[in-house]
Amino acid sequence: MRRTATAVALIATAALTLSACSDDTAGTANGTGAGGSGGGEVDPTARLDGVELTFWTAQNTVNAADQVIEAFEEATGATVNVEAIPDLYEQNVPTRLASGERPDLMFWQPSISTLPFIQPRQNLLPLDDEPWVGDLGPTEQSLGVIDGTRYAAIVTSPAMLGVYYNKDVFAEAGITEEDFPTSYEELLELGHTVQDRTDASAFYEVGGDQWPLQWQVQVQLTDLPETWWEGLNRNEESWTDPAVVDAITTYNEELLGAGLAQEDYRTGTFTGQGEALWEGSSAMALNVTSFQSQLQAQHSTEEIDERIGWFPIANSEARGLYSPDQTNGVVAFATGDEERQNAARQFLAFWLGPDYADFLDARKIPSVQPDVPNPEGMPQTAVDQVGELADAHGVFQAKAIVAPELHVALADMIYGERSPQEVAEFVEDQFDDIARDQGAEGF
Amino acid sequence: MAQSATTGAAAAQPVTTRGRPPSPRRAGGRPPGRMSRAAVHHPWWFALPAVVIFGGFFLLPNLLNFYYPFTDWSNYHTDINWVGTRNFREILDDGTLWRALRVTLVYALLAAFFQNLFGLLLALLLEKDTRFNRFFRALFFLPVLISALAVGYVFQALLNTDGAINETLGTDVPWLGSTSWTIVLVAVVHGWKWMGLAMLIYLAGLKGIPGDMLEAARADGAGPWRMFWSVRFPMLAPAVTFNVTTSLLGSMNTFDIVQATTGGGPASSTEVMNIYMFRVFGQGQWAEASAMSLVLFLVVVAMAFPLVIGLRRREQML
Repeated sequence: MRRTATAVALIATAALTLSACSDDTAGTANGTGAGGSGGGEVDPTARLDGVELTFWTAQNTVNAADQVIEAFEEATGATVNVEAIPDLYEQNVPTRLASGERPDLMFWQPSISTLPFIQPRQNLLPLDDEPWVGDLGPTEQSLGVIDGTRYAAIVTSPAMLGVYYNKDVFAEAGITEEDFPTSYEELLELGHTVQDRTDASAFYEVGGDQWPLQWQVQVQLTDLPETWWEGLNRNEESWTDPAVVDAITTYNEELLGAGLAQEDYRTGTFTGQGEALWEGSSAMALNVTSFQSQLQAQHSTEEIDERIGWFPIANSEARGLYSPDQTNGVVAFATGDEERQNAARQFLAFWLGPDYADFLDARKIPSVQPDVPNPEGMPQTAVDQVGELADAHGVFQAKAIVAPELHVALADMIYGERSPQEVAEFVEDQFDDIARDQGAEGF
Repeated sequence: MAQSATTGAAAAQPVTTRGRPPSPRRAGGRPPGRMSRAAVHHPWWFALPAVVIFGGFFLLPNLLNFYYPFTDWSNYHTDINWVGTRNFREILDDGTLWRALRVTLVYALLAAFFQNLFGLLLALLLEKDTRFNRFFRALFFLPVLISALAVGYVFQALLNTDGAINETLGTDVPWLGSTSWTIVLVAVVHGWKWMGLAMLIYLAGLKGIPGDMLEAARADGAGPWRMFWSVRFPMLAPAVTFNVTTSLLGSMNTFDIVQATTGGGPASSTEVMNIYMFRVFGQGQWAEASAMSLVLFLVVVAMAFPLVIGLRRREQML
């Protein structure tokens, strides 16, 4: 008898432990998300005394929303607790969600390749009918939407991909704005001109940190039509398409192989890129806005304006590419608590409504709303980028349903461990695997 | 030895049966006296809290690791379905599994070699119990206590092309940029971090060598070199078994040092199994990462048995 009781107790304990380990998101599979969609009528400054909201940020963006949080708390009486999730953010957040934790609000990259990481249909509040949706610029409006439903509020302007250049080196090489390239081919020619006329290397490439390696290939993919990307997302097109392989080959042979990068491009770092461009040992750096943030952290607006310039580039025209990042979007969670869900929507309406101009002014960043002007005191490179945003191309992170690790394969390529064709195959394999895991049609 | 244990058990019999008559089952099945005094006096369920923690946080995750690799568990949907060996086929097909396995084995062998070499040298150097030696023993043990990630980042900063080492030497060597030598360098860092532990165990081994044996060797005219090769090193066999086993199998599971110094680069030449797993997990492909982890587990088990058996046999032969 005692033995049976013991066995029962043990089995019960084991079962309890097992159930505690099961996937906690499973319960919401039928979508409590839809329940929170009130839509339309949000008073941004209605009193919210006693309501507590939790806001998840990454470690490097823990202060990014400070201004709006303080203003919101003052205006409504609510409390917003910021919790920084350890790096890697995009990896740790899904793990926390799987274990059942939920914030009310969170920074998240509003792209079609990164939103699926947090299972928006199950976890997030749809935001289609919020008052601020119509105020966003055209590019910003296209972000944060999955299968026709909006899940993210766009609070900052997406990063822009383009060429940062050292003005002194260009002046030494006799290059003026009229010589700026209007195709990738011309960009490479410009690189040769710089190297022929100065001691600087044309480009600084970042093989050590790897991730910026993808940009030289990405700017060459801009001639692929929308239908190609749609086909790719249905598994009708492939990353092994000659257009992609040619872009990788051009980068490998006509830029790296032709000696247009600095000598240690295999081990170059992101911070090294900033220093090299600042000192003028390299003339150009093809990178996104975080490169500029790096410069802004070290130098004043005047210093940057004096020394660094920016121009857009695509495969066959002078157009920029936008690249969504983690601070661009804020998502609101379907927590099941009606009061907090409404407070979260009110917070977003406050952010993109009465507070928006003050928020921009505090951060010195460009506006996502055509009706709200950019703040004074932004570097000229930032102003140039904002001007290009409206008709910019998107990087593949914003077009493909999965963002494959092209940079990892390129890092192998620069050591001769993979051919351009093998890089494309690696990317295609990974894209296929993850698209299938996502349950995308056609995979 | 076996004989004396039996006699001991027989002698203990009257003591255990004095209090109450022996149950027929116990008398028949388990030889009386096997159970220690503590086990008799403390009910087994005293261990329950520990068993529950062990079961919940160690045993269960390990058992689940035999199940998840055969499912489509991922970040992108909530249901978990059986898919057979699909994950294994995928990691085999793209070729990265073999590369990661090869890199892991090379790394483990190198790391174990350096850790034992440094540890043994330090133990021999600091063997005598002087104040100077005691201080340096503590000093060389310090890296063991430092976080492995911190060690990795410090060495990454030192070994960078524009880091302190190149600056001091006046060179421009990309220490972390060689597809063939960087793995050796990272293994040296691994050896440096754990050498204190190996040193401690070798020191204990050296202290355990009977003094009369050393005296006899000295009386027979053995010099320091001969003394080491013919007496002390063979007598260190149990310490060698422990150190080689733990360092080799431990470095098969390495992650932090490699992640902090090279992140698996250059060109994936230091991408050990755990780094690869971490990358795949980060892409939301949890089942594939589990499949890799199961492969690693099986490889470690497959290595552990012959290694331990071989080293134990070596001890007996010496």
